[in-house]
Amino acid sequence: MEEVLDSQLSIQLYCMGCLPGEKITIERIAPFGDPMIISVEDTFISLRKDDAHKICVKRTES
Amino acid sequence: MIESTLRKHATLKDEEKVRLILVGNPNSGKSSLFNHLTGLNQRVGNFPGVTVEKKTGGVKITDSLKAEVIDLPGTYSLSPRSEDEQVTFDYLSDKNRKDLPELMVVIADASNLKRNLLLASQLIDLEVPTIIALNMMDIVQRNNQEIDLKGLSEDLGVPVVPMNARIGKGVEELKKAIAEFEYKPPKKFIEDHASKDGLSNTVVRFDKIKLILKQRLFDKGESVTAKTTRKIDKLLVHPIWGYFIFLFVLFMMFQAIFSWSNLPMDWIENGFLVFGQLLSDTLPDGVLTDLLVDGVWAGLGGIIIFIPQITLLFTFIAILEDTGYLARVSYLMDALLKRFGLNGRSIIPLLGGAACAVPAIMSARTISNKKERLLTIFVTPLISCSARIPVYTLLIALVIPAEKQLWTFNLQGVVMMALYLLGFVAALGTSLAMKYWVKSEERSHFIMELPIYRQPRWKNVLMTIYNKVKLFLVEAGKIIIAVSVILWVLSSYGPGEKMTEIDQKYEALGAFEGKSEQLASEKLEESYAGHLGKAIEPVIRPLGFDWKIGISIITSFAAREVFVGTMATLYSVGDSENTLTIKEKMARAQDPRTGEKVYTKATGYSLLVFYAFALQCMATVAIVVKETGGWKWPLIQLAYMGVLAYLASFIVFQIFS
Repeated sequence: MEEVLDSQLSIQLYCMGCLPGEKITIERIAPFGDPMIISVEDTFISLRKDDAHKICVKRTES
Repeated sequence: MIESTLRKHATLKDEEKVRLILVGNPNSGKSSLFNHLTGLNQRVGNFPGVTVEKKTGGVKITDSLKAEVIDLPGTYSLSPRSEDEQVTFDYLSDKNRKDLPELMVVIADASNLKRNLLLASQLIDLEVPTIIALNMMDIVQRNNQEIDLKGLSEDLGVPVVPMNARIGKGVEELKKAIAEFEYKPPKKFIEDHASKDGLSNTVVRFDKIKLILKQRLFDKGESVTAKTTRKIDKLLVHPIWGYFIFLFVLFMMFQAIFSWSNLPMDWIENGFLVFGQLLSDTLPDGVLTDLLVDGVWAGLGGIIIFIPQITLLFTFIAILEDTGYLARVSYLMDALLKRFGLNGRSIIPLLGGAACAVPAIMSARTISNKKERLLTIFVTPLISCSARIPVYTLLIALVIPAEKQLWTFNLQGVVMMALYLLGFVAALGTSLAMKYWVKSEERSHFIMELPIYRQPRWKNVLMTIYNKVKLFLVEAGKIIIAVSVILWVLSSYGPGEKMTEIDQKYEALGAFEGKSEQLASEKLEESYAGHLGKAIEPVIRPLGFDWKIGISIITSFAAREVFVGTMATLYSVGDSENTLTIKEKMARAQDPRTGEKVYTKATGYSLLVFYAFALQCMATVAIVVKETGGWKWPLIQLAYMGVLAYLASFIVFQIFS
């Protein structure tokens, strides 16, 4: 993960351990693409597509 | 960053009492620790001015040291974004508490140490006496991790106590650490934190936490618990099976609630009847006895009768919540509920609404978006609650023959199902309309941690049920009893001399035996309630209702199931032997003007729909006043649901007649 394009959202995600430099995994996506579950280390977080769009990531080799 | 005013004190050696403030992330086991510390010695209240639950309790730390425990709402950091987190923030920065020495106990989930240490580090920088309780050490072990506790404690500058709060392990050690606590000003976790904004502050903190953990946390392999959770999630939040499983769970839940609660409800009902009879027999005849038996006692019975259903429903909800499944249900439902202006989290109040809207509306507090929370509160009373069941049962049995089939299903059962569905659809439809009407600048999110799956912690489950039921008894109870007393006055007294005349007439008749019900019925007709019923008859005539139904609609404001009792009194005319059941009496009822049956299919269906929609519950109105902080929304809700009920009943009556 690189950055979050929304300061309100970023602080919320940072506090849950979802920060720049961390590896985010998309665990699953609900039908019709919304919402989704991501995981950072061992924390599972659900979030909506709108919010997910604001998270900038770089693809890593899995 | 906030300036904390928690009192600094060197040791607790000479103190008699200390205030323990529990702070921690959501899902860190804070309530488990709180329950282990306080047991039944706890109270649930509100923080002043806001609708955030405040739990306080007492515990003995040593023979000479007692503690008052405050459980602050779970929070991820000290930058408040919801009402819950604001409360934590405000509490810690409140300057007016000087009565007791205070000690902060930070509960951190050791299996998620990095994230949990963020809040801990912010709290340490408040420079108040702090102990860290490192919870869920069992999971750390299972995940093949090891934590250097001594090193961690040195790095952070505060005592660290390992524990497993779910089984109470480490609680004694924590008490010991509290008793032996010695305050030394800790090293600043990060320098000059006040000058940085929240975001960079957080990043700097995490950098340091990572450095510490590199030395203090040893990972020996893959996390077992996350793997298990992924496996279970594969099934439970599957894009297709997930929904089927949820529906199945829901179906089983309601099956269990209805079948298991029948017996205890019968006991309670009969118990109240027998004891009420006993009361009126032993006490001297008079107004006070009548008031006590027919007003207060009957009102009390009307509340207690719902306890089995409410307890069962909240038991299931508490278990589902504690295992981590309910968070997944919110995830599954978010996409659907979002379209209707609600939130995935709204599913919990909507489920609870099937038992009783009062505690359900209070559980809407977890929704941080104000508009979504308001909409949830607004539509929850449309879900058919357990008070409607007796009304539905009586009316369905009255207008639909038991042997009637629809395809292969029993028609009575189908109508019952349809009424529940009607409530749910009305709730969603209303919310959809309100979504466009209520304006809000606040953006809606659904950012929620999905905790790993765990066995339910039975102590937590029990405490949740205990607190919810107590809340229902107190909140709904006082309203229902008050309204019952008012209704008793309205139906026992009447304008002019009519009431006494009826009494005299029956007395003159002499043969009083077997006529008491007839007397009661005639008196009810002449009472204020009777006059009120007749006054509204022209208004409800288009719905197919007569004045007797009018009285019942009025008395139903105490609680909907009062309908059945009122009907029983009203229809005792002409049955001096009292051999017919209330259903048979109502089935025979005729309109005096036309000679037609009163309870035709049209009237029955119309009345069913009316009860499905109308907000005939003073306890709900009272709780909405409290939760929304004013009379505006409850009055709109009352008017809206009234109009909806009226129009729907009108249409139904016109279609079927």
